[in-house]
Amino acid sequence: MADGMLSNGAVREINGSDQSNDVIDIYPLSSYYFGSKEASPFKDETLADRIQRMKFNYAAHGLRTRVEAVILVELFKHPHLLLLQVRNSIFTLPGGRLKPGESDIVGLRRKLSSKLSVNGSDDETEWEVGELLGMWWKPDFETLLYPYLPSNVKKPKECTKLFLVRLPVSRRFIVPKNLKLLAVPLCQIHENHKTYGPIISGVPQLLSKFSFNIIED
Amino acid sequence: MVTSAVVNTYPLSSYTFGTKEPKMEKDTSVADRLARMKVNYMKEGMRTSVEGILLVQEHNHPHILLLQIGNTFCKLPGGRLKPGENEIEGLKRKLTSKLGATVPALVPDWQLPNSIVLGDQFCLKMWVLGSVAEYTLAVLIGECVAIWWRPNFETIMYPYCPPHITKPKECKKLYLVHLSEREYFAVPKNLKLLAVPLFELYDNVQRYGPVISTIPQQLSRFQFNMITK
Repeated sequence: MADGMLSNGAVREINGSDQSNDVIDIYPLSSYYFGSKEASPFKDETLADRIQRMKFNYAAHGLRTRVEAVILVELFKHPHLLLLQVRNSIFTLPGGRLKPGESDIVGLRRKLSSKLSVNGSDDETEWEVGELLGMWWKPDFETLLYPYLPSNVKKPKECTKLFLVRLPVSRRFIVPKNLKLLAVPLCQIHENHKTYGPIISGVPQLLSKFSFNIIED
Repeated sequence: MVTSAVVNTYPLSSYTFGTKEPKMEKDTSVADRLARMKVNYMKEGMRTSVEGILLVQEHNHPHILLLQIGNTFCKLPGGRLKPGENEIEGLKRKLTSKLGATVPALVPDWQLPNSIVLGDQFCLKMWVLGSVAEYTLAVLIGECVAIWWRPNFETIMYPYCPPHITKPKECKKLYLVHLSEREYFAVPKNLKLLAVPLFELYDNVQRYGPVISTIPQQLSRFQFNMITK
């Protein structure tokens, strides 16, 4: 069992109110392998087309749920978040839309394998999906999101759920050629709404209650 | 401490609000506050402060109780822990200090008037009004929802300990507080107690600062059970 070191250097008082699941073990970026696979089909559509498609789907299936993963690694003694970059300016957390009737955990594992693993691999169960960190709601089809369901909204159109996904000490990440996988430090994401949008730039605040246990060789 | 994904919130009207003697701020300016923080740091090391998120509901939307000082500055009820103090106990102490009602403590005191000698059968009992005690709020401290770090003796805080900072000056922990259905709050006369809806806090850094304005995101994973009468 590797020795851990608390990344903030401050002594952590054990006072009976701590829970072991408030600690996240993170491993160095260098302990992971990154490769690529053929590009995933990308829906190239205008915003108007996209809204049309969402309206159609809503009429058929109701509330659309997205599940996204917050995955962390260590670099320079600071936690880094794994982000996918589409084209040059759009950043997303790994994840995607649930199929109708699919559960959150099963859907997230499916999406993580689809975006980050070899196609057709059997390792979906290897994704350790942890706790729900936060939820964002879309009252209507336009893009504004809120971290609560406004009280006058009876029929929200989309709900995005963020889950903590804990990584093992090592694994292979195989990413479609048309996406880039980045490890971005929390200090760069924090309050950087302009580059990363409200969901990603709010992740450091959702993670603040955890303490990071950096496990090095 | 209680962990629960469901938070019961009761209407504002089920709580009673009174007043009590003013609780003045120890510092009159931000500069004073930071200077006092530096003195305490030299003596006691990193400051740990705890603050409580107390929720009520109005119009089916969660509202957070905030204390307003003067005309604009809002803060959560809470404060600095004593060295070595347990976080949960410290938060209860601070909530009682800021919002607990004061009641006179009735202390029995056997006291015979100086010059009267009484027979064996009876003695004069005098009930003396002892010191004023604060009625402890019957609150359940829930889980920690956020931790903010102050790397230097400056006002800026971060939701992580910034890289290369080995000696943070303050660690502030925000705890969810579960209120019971009825409660009596006594607000110090120099402060106002506000119930602010989550939608007003969201994205409103200018008015409420980075810590309070991001509470809606940190509460987004909870399910609010809005109880009406």
